[in-house]
Amino acid sequence: MYTKFVFRNAKRSVKDYLVYIVTLTICVTLFYSFLSISSSYYKPDIGSEYDFTLLSDGMKMAICGVTLILLFLIRFVNNYMLCRKQKEFAIQAVMGMEQKTIGRLFFAETFVMGMISIAIGIFFGVFCSQFITAMLLTSYGKSYELSWTLFPDTVMLTVAFFVFSFLVVGAFNTRTIRQKKIIDMLAADRENDPALKKSRWIGIATILFELFTIWMCVTGVQKVWFYYDSRFAMSVKIMFWGNIILPIVTLLWSALWLIRKKKYGFPKFVFGLLICAALNACIAGSVPALSNEYYLPLGTGTINQYLLFILIDLIFFICTLIYLASNFIVVWKEKSPEHRYKNENLFFLGQIISKLNTTSKTMTLVSITLVLAISMFVVAPILVGWASGYLDVRSMYDVQISSRYNSVYNEENLPRDNYELVTDFLDEHGIKTDNDCTFSLYLPNKDDFHNREKYDFPVLAISLSDYNAIREMLGYEQIALSENEFTTQWQSIATDEDLDSFLKEHNRIMTDAGELTLSEHSFYEEAMGETVYNSYTDVLYILPDSVCEDLLPVIRNRYITTSETISYKNARALEQVFSDEYPEMTEDGVSYAIRLSTLQINSAKATNFVLQAAMIYGAVVLMVICLTILSLQQLLDAGKFKYRFSVLRKLGVEEQQIEKLVLKQLGVWFGLPIFVAIFVSAILITYFIQTVSAEISAYIGFGALMSQIGMIVGALTLLLVCYFISTWILFKKSISHKV
Amino acid sequence: MEPILKLEHIQKYYGNEGNITKAIKDISFSVETGEFLAIMGASGSGKTTMLNCISTIDTVSAGHIYLDGTDVTEINEKQIAQFRRENLGFVFQDFNLLDTLTISENIALALAINKTPVKEVEPRILDIAGKLNICDILDKYPYQVSGGQKQRCACARAMINHPKLLLADEPTGALDSHSSQMLLSTIQSINEQMGATILMVTHDTFTASYANRILFLQDGELFTELRKGSDSRSAFFDKILSVLTMIGGGQNHVY
Repeated sequence: MYTKFVFRNAKRSVKDYLVYIVTLTICVTLFYSFLSISSSYYKPDIGSEYDFTLLSDGMKMAICGVTLILLFLIRFVNNYMLCRKQKEFAIQAVMGMEQKTIGRLFFAETFVMGMISIAIGIFFGVFCSQFITAMLLTSYGKSYELSWTLFPDTVMLTVAFFVFSFLVVGAFNTRTIRQKKIIDMLAADRENDPALKKSRWIGIATILFELFTIWMCVTGVQKVWFYYDSRFAMSVKIMFWGNIILPIVTLLWSALWLIRKKKYGFPKFVFGLLICAALNACIAGSVPALSNEYYLPLGTGTINQYLLFILIDLIFFICTLIYLASNFIVVWKEKSPEHRYKNENLFFLGQIISKLNTTSKTMTLVSITLVLAISMFVVAPILVGWASGYLDVRSMYDVQISSRYNSVYNEENLPRDNYELVTDFLDEHGIKTDNDCTFSLYLPNKDDFHNREKYDFPVLAISLSDYNAIREMLGYEQIALSENEFTTQWQSIATDEDLDSFLKEHNRIMTDAGELTLSEHSFYEEAMGETVYNSYTDVLYILPDSVCEDLLPVIRNRYITTSETISYKNARALEQVFSDEYPEMTEDGVSYAIRLSTLQINSAKATNFVLQAAMIYGAVVLMVICLTILSLQQLLDAGKFKYRFSVLRKLGVEEQQIEKLVLKQLGVWFGLPIFVAIFVSAILITYFIQTVSAEISAYIGFGALMSQIGMIVGALTLLLVCYFISTWILFKKSISHKV
Repeated sequence: MEPILKLEHIQKYYGNEGNITKAIKDISFSVETGEFLAIMGASGSGKTTMLNCISTIDTVSAGHIYLDGTDVTEINEKQIAQFRRENLGFVFQDFNLLDTLTISENIALALAINKTPVKEVEPRILDIAGKLNICDILDKYPYQVSGGQKQRCACARAMINHPKLLLADEPTGALDSHSSQMLLSTIQSINEQMGATILMVTHDTFTASYANRILFLQDGELFTELRKGSDSRSAFFDKILSVLTMIGGGQNHVY
């Protein structure tokens, strides 16, 4: 009997469940399509030089992590359904059905709906996974064909995951229904806001922020104590002191408020903190930027700590901004009666203020999540472009052997080897070489050997014949130098300003073999890999061979290109053989490294893809969650709104005017969190792009980046418009007097 | 006196061809300017349907309703809202106040919707609040005040635009007896001092006894009419009771 009831009920209320089904279907589709890559039945043709297991394990981890967030969405959508059906439950309870049974019936109903969504979701997932395959094969540089296959293990995993989450959420719901009073359920849709009191979460957030400010202040004092130097540039000095003074100002403001609590009022206090948080974020943001520019010896730990400070400041900024939004409106309303009493403004402002007061917590969470999603969307292509651009620079040679003298303090210990072991290995495995070049890098002045400060590392030199050999290997033109002349080779990451100022200062150089003048063709910028430069330098001198004979060689490198790509297995073996003989750090202090393009490309592509897929998946999931919550929040209160708008109608407001009001109201509710999120993420992204601008222009190009960002913005706008319009239609329907 | 509201042979049917419910069969009456008229009747007698027709919330099946010479039944959809806000004021059983606005803002909303100049808004609110004795709760929200105060606020909102006709649908329905009495005195003073024409629907005898004239409806038809004239309220109350006895407990109904 009850089974029949469940199915009939489910069939009847499909319309009610539309939002539920759509949301779940989207979740399932995303889950299935991304997970399908990690299926053991998934065998894309990516070539023998690649190893696929690297990728699928990474994917599985990434996807399961992100998907945990989906549980929240499922819970939220379930809550929405619960609220919508409360009256129905009440009637069933009044008729004498046990609340336990009602809970179970509801669970069964949602479960049926959930299973439908899983079926539809997997169906769409099969289509969607084609896009992911396309993305994968493009990133491995292969062409792709569409194929329609269903992976049994992915299907199993998807079904298991969602069934499990339904069970968990269902258990919660059943409990909620059992504990609810019938009278509350009966009156649920007519319930007015009990009181327009603000929730207390902002108080907790403020306390946490104060604690955090103390931490920031202490850190600032520590950094000054350990690292401050009066010879620093003015901006660096401001950074050091600012990181102490601004947190202190924040704390002083709080103390002042505590003393004169009555006069100022809480909103004023929060407003002060809002300004402080913004200033703190700026000053904390200057730390990574300036330490990049001036090579401050702060270390990665400190930089990461300050990045965390920026993040916390920004989060608190969002909290306070949304919390204060209603106060701003109230003040504005008080101050301008001509706006207040214009048409239906009173009603409109009342709606906005009451909504802001009661849902500021959700709005803040949505805003923060949106910032995360937007940042991920934009940062993903930058990181991926960076990594793959960097890969091209790193893996220019099939075998690249390099050494470093950073920890060598005795000239006798400097590397002199020809790495014959590699030659033997290649012969043994029948790998033919096209080009093979073993060369040294020299110190122009022997005295610089002991310069080991980061910003003090000397620029090294290469002999003209070695340089030309490498150029030949890479297919560049040969160059020539007259006697007593030199020229320079630049890394692609160097800026034009660096280049100009360096050449201006160094048009003559003094070497151990005499003075040299800068050649007419003063610089070359073709990419040559990173290992031809000394640590922390972007430039290399090219000197005549005769000069180099008298200089001290400090680095010994060997570059090889092979006729065919080395297979994954051989590459691994060679890497092993080499590192057994030449470890990363020898007792003498020399560090050796071997880079095989096969391995580099393999791991880089796998991590790149996992990174890209996980970030895009995460961003899409977060975005969908935010928009669904925003839209459900409006529809959840439909009963309340129907009543309010009916009052307006009775007061004689035209339908047209009411439609305008609805649009305005939805605009604000959607607009506010989205506007705040866009504002904050724009700052974040600008900051990020500024910090890595050198890398972006070197490896990606700003034009390409902007077009990518433009496409993302376009897609996001489309998603937003879809959500907005469907919410608008549903909202209008729910307040319509005709129903 | 001149009639401000005139109903001519009003009929209202619900349902389709096979199954028609006649909510109002054929009712004609008129209300004069400054009158306080009550309409009484049991549930299902057609009181609320009639009120809805007069207030343009519902349409009639046949007949005409004239308010100050305008035929309400002929107004098109677009003009209805404007007509409503210029000519009618409403007081409902469940107050119909907006919980997002303070009492004064609730009143101001009616003025704002009617495009009253900003300068006039606050003085007019203070003026009417003084008359209805709600000055000290103007800055409170509806959930912070009592039912009686809420209903007085609703009256203030209904009266602030000086409507030609104030329609009240069971205004005391959600109030306790003390609040009811206070409210009815208020409505009476609105009628007497501000000269408002009031049409009130109720099924409560005590409430009805405040009116000058009472129409009794039964099964969609006008049953009888009672005028207070020079009677005291208690005498009028007794008369109403006897009419009600006739309607509800007349010989036809008792075996």
